[in-house]
Amino acid sequence: MGALDRLSALGSQLSGGAGIAGGKAKILEKNADDIVVTACLRTAITRGGKGQFKDTPAADLMAGALKAIIDRSGINPGLVEDICVGTVLAPGGGATEMRAAALVAGFPETAAVRTLNRQCSSGLQACVDVANQIRSGMIEIGIGAGVESMSTQYGPGAVTEFSDLLESCPEAANCKVPMGVLSEDMAKARGVSRASQDAFAAASFQKAAKAQADGLFKEEIVPLKVKFEDPKSGETREIVVDRDDGIRPGTTVESLGKIKAAFAKDGSIHAGNASQVSDGAAAVLLMRRSTAEKLGQTIIGKYIAASIVGVKPLLMGIGPWKAIPKVFELTGITKEDVDIFEINEAFASQCLWCANELGIPQEKINPKGGAIAFGHPLGCTGARQVSTLLYELKRRGQQVGVTSMCVGTGMGMAAVWVAE
Amino acid sequence: MASMLEFRTPGFNPYAVKYSPYYDSRLAVAASANYGIVGNGRLFCLGLGAAGVQLEKSFDTNDALYDLAWSEINENQLVVACGDGSIKLFDMGVNDFPVMNFHEHKREAFSVCWNPISKDNFISSSWDGTVKLWSPTRNASLTTLPIGCCTYSTAFSPSNPALISAVSADSQIRLFDLRTPVSAKYHLVSIIPVHAPLSGPVLPRLASTPGGPPGATYAGAVPAEILTHDWNKYNTNIVAAAGVDRVIRTFDVRNPTGGPRSLLAGHEYAVRRLAWSPHANDILVSASYDMTVRVWTDGSTMLPAMGPGGQQMLDNTVRSGTQLGLMNRHTEFATGVDWCLFGTGGWVASVGWDERVLLWDAHTLLRG
Repeated sequence: MGALDRLSALGSQLSGGAGIAGGKAKILEKNADDIVVTACLRTAITRGGKGQFKDTPAADLMAGALKAIIDRSGINPGLVEDICVGTVLAPGGGATEMRAAALVAGFPETAAVRTLNRQCSSGLQACVDVANQIRSGMIEIGIGAGVESMSTQYGPGAVTEFSDLLESCPEAANCKVPMGVLSEDMAKARGVSRASQDAFAAASFQKAAKAQADGLFKEEIVPLKVKFEDPKSGETREIVVDRDDGIRPGTTVESLGKIKAAFAKDGSIHAGNASQVSDGAAAVLLMRRSTAEKLGQTIIGKYIAASIVGVKPLLMGIGPWKAIPKVFELTGITKEDVDIFEINEAFASQCLWCANELGIPQEKINPKGGAIAFGHPLGCTGARQVSTLLYELKRRGQQVGVTSMCVGTGMGMAAVWVAE
Repeated sequence: MASMLEFRTPGFNPYAVKYSPYYDSRLAVAASANYGIVGNGRLFCLGLGAAGVQLEKSFDTNDALYDLAWSEINENQLVVACGDGSIKLFDMGVNDFPVMNFHEHKREAFSVCWNPISKDNFISSSWDGTVKLWSPTRNASLTTLPIGCCTYSTAFSPSNPALISAVSADSQIRLFDLRTPVSAKYHLVSIIPVHAPLSGPVLPRLASTPGGPPGATYAGAVPAEILTHDWNKYNTNIVAAAGVDRVIRTFDVRNPTGGPRSLLAGHEYAVRRLAWSPHANDILVSASYDMTVRVWTDGSTMLPAMGPGGQQMLDNTVRSGTQLGLMNRHTEFATGVDWCLFGTGGWVASVGWDERVLLWDAHTLLRG
């Protein structure tokens, strides 16, 4: 007959109990145990092999982003208990150098660091893992991050040779089919025409170019000072990188139409309608709302829920199509409740197919462009989308956003965020 | 809404209201200090006269009061369910103290119901996971029916003195028949899973079930706590139940696994109490944490609607009820609601945590 029992019984009746999805009103509520974002940012994203970060190792990018998170949020770095970095290509998972990067960035030895790899969704998985660690009470404050230096770490060594055992199972062997090849087949099978892909890609470039010209990336990008070897003169100098260099203004359907298909003679996928090979890093500072209020942190958004699904390895591009409805089920919201969808543009074909199948209107998808225009540094993208999304929602005075991506080997991930 | 009578219960947040089965001018309210979390309870016996609603008698208890039921054999007596697990029988002719105290429940007693047919016994349910059958003249319970989890509401069938129903946190309606021998099942004759899948299409389509995408037929496939239920007063096989998932469902007790007969969706928070009309076989009223009291028809008396393709409704069609009216004068959780048995029919008493008892005519909602 304790008062606490009565209170918790009443609370569970009001909150709908476990497993009852509450819909939009529910996710907009502000509760002390919400997992909130008090700072999120990214570096510029630059072209692999040619861009301004071409000589900057992944750990240096991450160190820059982590240092910026401390500066921007003003948080005492000693309060951060865990940092999770999504990174895909780093040998050894990048575990050693990311720990070192955190120490360089100004975190004391008490801040634990780990890396994870769920391919293209690594950055999102890192944020979700940290949010879940906070939700479960394991830690109070954490950072979800992602980084990739495709300039220095992208190459044929990315996948180990398959054993005879793996090769003996057709579905298992499908996991190593290159993404371009399987996406080409999928585009053909699902009837996504070259023209529609080029139109989608051109729109991505145009949106990104306009957003860049209007300074809409200013808030999310943190300038980084790095060493850069001039390919012509061979001299190395220090430069400040503060803008995405993959965005090509003036890209049109016509200009994309001239590019030769990359994976098949009669194919539809080419360098202009697929994501770019890039370098970049992003980080998201997460904590409970009560903690943020206690520390006087500015709350810019909150994490609601995430979903992970598996699809056929050869149809990895349809991942968001399956993951987004699942996260809707978990949260009880519908596509009408969502103001912005940040769906990673691995390929115009798969992103467009998912959007069409889900019935998401074009104007709600990637309003500032996507990976086709400014690149897809694999481990970084999931964390990058958080800052792209939250700042844009805030600018428009909107609230509900979804980030999602397809994942190599046949998976999809999606998460719901609310800007405040 | 045109006219509404009001009574205030300062310092006490009502949990239940019941009209007397004897007088059209008498009702009682079970209320608790501090929203029933901690503190005393108070039973208000109210009379309706030319001067409005007047306090006739009040009784204080040491712990919160969550429910009450008028005696069916003595017009001055009523029982209350108390937060300390006790059931207390008060007599309006006896000041201050209960004339009987029944204390067996080990946790909060949450509902009481007097047998409307045999009139010589009553039941109570409790968070201790039991329903107990009592005689007003005996200190110890006659029977204990095990539920196993927090039991928010229990009721007698209005047509059979031996049939008892109970709803609980496990999302089930249980039926007990006292005529069956005490076997290993303790008189349990049937279990209705409230979240059973639908047996057929929903017609007319639900406009928008909370929690589901538009056009989705049914959101409530997930078990949730059932907080309240009531037997239809005309069709003796129909029970309505509702709770945390906000949707009111009706069931035919003859087909326990057949899924709901109708769905009434609209409340925005948990439904705390519902009551079938004593005057019409398809009308019910519900009170919710969303601060509203709503009047519904379960759709059973509507003309057989045509399906989307023009075909006749099938037997397994699940009807979606229609909200006939919404009373939004409460400014806190609406917790209790009851129909007056007398008069032209349609008078409703509702209570809420805003420390108010409101008496109003449901007909005015229908016109508006």
